Amino acid sequence: MSEVFTAAPAARQKGDVLPVLLPFRAPAPRAWRWPRLRLVHLVGIVGALLLIGGGAFAQGGAPRLSALEVIWKWFPLLMSGFGFNILMSVLAMALGTVAGIGLGLLQIGENRFLRRLAWAATQFFRNAPWLVLLFFAMFMIPFQFRVFGYTIPFPDWVKAIIGFSLPVMANMSEILRGAVASLPSGQWEAAESLAFSRRQTLFMIILPQCVKRMLPPWMNLYSLITMATVQASIVGVSEMLTLTSQVHAAEGGRPDLLAPLYGFAMLCFFVYCYPIERFTLYLERRFQLNQ
Amino acid sequence: MKTLLIAASLAILAGALPTKADVLDAVKKKGVLVVGVKADYKPFGFRDPSGAIVGIEPDLAADVAKRLGVKLELVPVVSSNRIEFLQQGKIDLLIATMSDKPERRKVTLAIDPPYYSDSVNILMSKKAKVASWEDLKGKVLCGTSGAWYNKDVSAKYGVEVKAFDGSEKPLFALKGGECIGYLYDQTFIQGKLLDADWTADYAMPLPGVMEAPWILAVAPGEDGFAKFMTDTTLDWMKTGYIVSEEKKWGIEPTDYSKRMHDKLKGS
Repeated sequence: MSEVFTAAPAARQKGDVLPVLLPFRAPAPRAWRWPRLRLVHLVGIVGALLLIGGGAFAQGGAPRLSALEVIWKWFPLLMSGFGFNILMSVLAMALGTVAGIGLGLLQIGENRFLRRLAWAATQFFRNAPWLVLLFFAMFMIPFQFRVFGYTIPFPDWVKAIIGFSLPVMANMSEILRGAVASLPSGQWEAAESLAFSRRQTLFMIILPQCVKRMLPPWMNLYSLITMATVQASIVGVSEMLTLTSQVHAAEGGRPDLLAPLYGFAMLCFFVYCYPIERFTLYLERRFQLNQ
Repeated sequence: MKTLLIAASLAILAGALPTKADVLDAVKKKGVLVVGVKADYKPFGFRDPSGAIVGIEPDLAADVAKRLGVKLELVPVVSSNRIEFLQQGKIDLLIATMSDKPERRKVTLAIDPPYYSDSVNILMSKKAKVASWEDLKGKVLCGTSGAWYNKDVSAKYGVEVKAFDGSEKPLFALKGGECIGYLYDQTFIQGKLLDADWTADYAMPLPGVMEAPWILAVAPGEDGFAKFMTDTTLDWMKTGYIVSEEKKWGIEPTDYSKRMHDKLKGS
């Protein structure tokens, strides 16, 4: 009790208003910057290098390539595999986003039947394991279509993209629905009072405000789907993980190469996904403050 | 718009039905032979640093394409999808270390005679003084659990087989001195012996036992192509092509390929 009595006059003496009377003003967002290297990162990088290069020290003298030399020798092939993962993730994301926006709009639409249907589809694909959806796409879609005498080939990786775009679609649909629901209902009411039609309200007022709310979870989803593309190795697409195991076999299946080779694959994904994650975090922080 | 969409999807559905035609004609018309091979089975099919698939089986596939006068396209397959690819028509021919099993003969058209044969052998420590399979009595071997021959070998030669998961663990155990040798597929052991890491202290001194033939396969109903492949296989044996391929890729020719070559050499 005594503290309160002594502290309050001290604050007033300075001529300030009581802190509770001040309007709430959040601290300004920090500008985006690339993540700085701190000691903890250095430890991580050195650790990864030691893990990869570990084989080099462990053997000594034997007339064979060290782990780093093996990775260097196969670097172009492994990188082409990694590029393939990126390509699959980008295309799956593009396809899934377009489909997901459509599904999400149906989910918040006025037609009750379509709304139910879109809701059911969203829930179904959102709650199915990604690998199961991938298997579905791989084995249900034929490897080529014949349309009007033309043969359209449907290679494995295209089927994999379709398989991955299904969960993206469902998650995107839910992100859109969530973003629209999160806007204060006053926005709808104000638009209605200004004689905007429902469609106009949605496309000119609501959705533009939703974009920045949707961006962080959308990027998060992209990160996840990128890491999920290695599952395509299970169904025989020649992406990075498939190539890694084939490289391991071509090097005679040496047990000491297992950790370095797979560690290298892990490092590639980390280097690609970590900046995306940091940027998402930054966007989240920034957009939170402006609402 | 809607009717157009429906029409398009109907057309796609109708077109998606598999069309039956003689593969041999189709291959010649396309000018490309598509062969499914392994890409993780050294030296039968594996990647080189440029990404190309090389090895004994890709060479065999190239020879088939040369005989047909068409280009070759290799598709990497794994055990779980190779038969499916063949049935779908995604590949025309399967040369992928496939052992001869009755259930595989039901779903594919197997080519006789088998082009190759694996057998069971032992990656033996050089310190072990073993000159024949009979010398193994009372010794301890490492093995892979689930391999069908573990029990047979153990019963026939009175050897104890310590089984481990997969192929890496028993190899570790062998290096650790838990057993005098590793009982496994001969082709796998030959692949290991291509690596300087193993040749220093280990060898394969015994002849293979319990032959397990490997078959080439084409899609069911492709009798014309099967006939062509049978002739090709016989010709490979006659000319000793398979034996020379084995030598080219650094493995000891198997009894089976030598025997078939000797048998057909004069014909």
